[in-house]
Amino acid sequence: MFVFGALLVLTLVTVGVSYLRLPETPAVIIGLSIALTKAALVAMYFMHLKGEKPAVYWPLGLTAFLFVGLLVSVLLSEGDHLFGTEFGDAFTKE
Amino acid sequence: MEIPYTTEVRPDTGLTNPKLGIWLFLASEVMLFGSLFSSYALLRSGAPTWPVQHEVLSVPLAALNTVVLIASSVTMVMAWASLAPHTAAVRAGDGEAEARSLKRYRLFMGLTLLGGAIFLVVKSIEYSDKFSHHLYPATNNFLGLYFTLTGLHALHVIVGMIVNGFLWGPGARMWRSEPERFANRIEVAGIYWHFVDVVWIFLFPVLYLL
Repeated sequence: MFVFGALLVLTLVTVGVSYLRLPETPAVIIGLSIALTKAALVAMYFMHLKGEKPAVYWPLGLTAFLFVGLLVSVLLSEGDHLFGTEFGDAFTKE
Repeated sequence: MEIPYTTEVRPDTGLTNPKLGIWLFLASEVMLFGSLFSSYALLRSGAPTWPVQHEVLSVPLAALNTVVLIASSVTMVMAWASLAPHTAAVRAGDGEAEARSLKRYRLFMGLTLLGGAIFLVVKSIEYSDKFSHHLYPATNNFLGLYFTLTGLHALHVIVGMIVNGFLWGPGARMWRSEPERFANRIEVAGIYWHFVDVVWIFLFPVLYLL
């Protein structure tokens, strides 16, 4: 029941924060942090992941690693565009 | 042939086979949804312009659906908790405990199914509203991703409801014959159902709020 309450409060907070219309970077950081917290609560308490056996942890750990890899692959191909560090400039100037 | 280790723990994994099986399946699901989330990140970060998402989609409806899905996860936990402590009593032939726990289980599993149904009704209202404004998956990249991600998620809700519906109805006969195995089935079905909830917990901010 405590977890249920926490999940409802976090849902309210994330909707509330979105109405503040923050700039993109803090909005993404706050929005995803709240989502991660909620997901962790569901996984730990509802899915009984807290105190689970190692045979569950290691495949999930591997999956988490590969999942991060999927997102990093986006960063590798779009990083230049996102952070404005176009290496191409070095060759075009002068 | 008997399926091995449905209730007793397998010594080398320390788990029952269904428990290990559902987690391996969910690991593959993480990669399925992960590939779509990373496609979203790639297309959005590479796009010169992006629609203001909360102006295209309905945040109140999605917030309602978030609450509905979280509530249905809670009732799923209650459904399992109605059975799990009573397996030994049912095994020992306590007819009253069997009937009482089954009734309680049916109530909470029924509420879980209701939650899933409400979620799908709200989702279909959202979809038909988009279509009536001539917003289709082909309209732009954002809507393409929106319909793909939420459509795949809705499919998971439907599959979960089919499994839960079976366990509510004809599947519940197992509670009398093999109580431990039936309680395990509810736990495993619950782990899947909570995963569907977790996916929505990420879809909601990514597609609606940010």
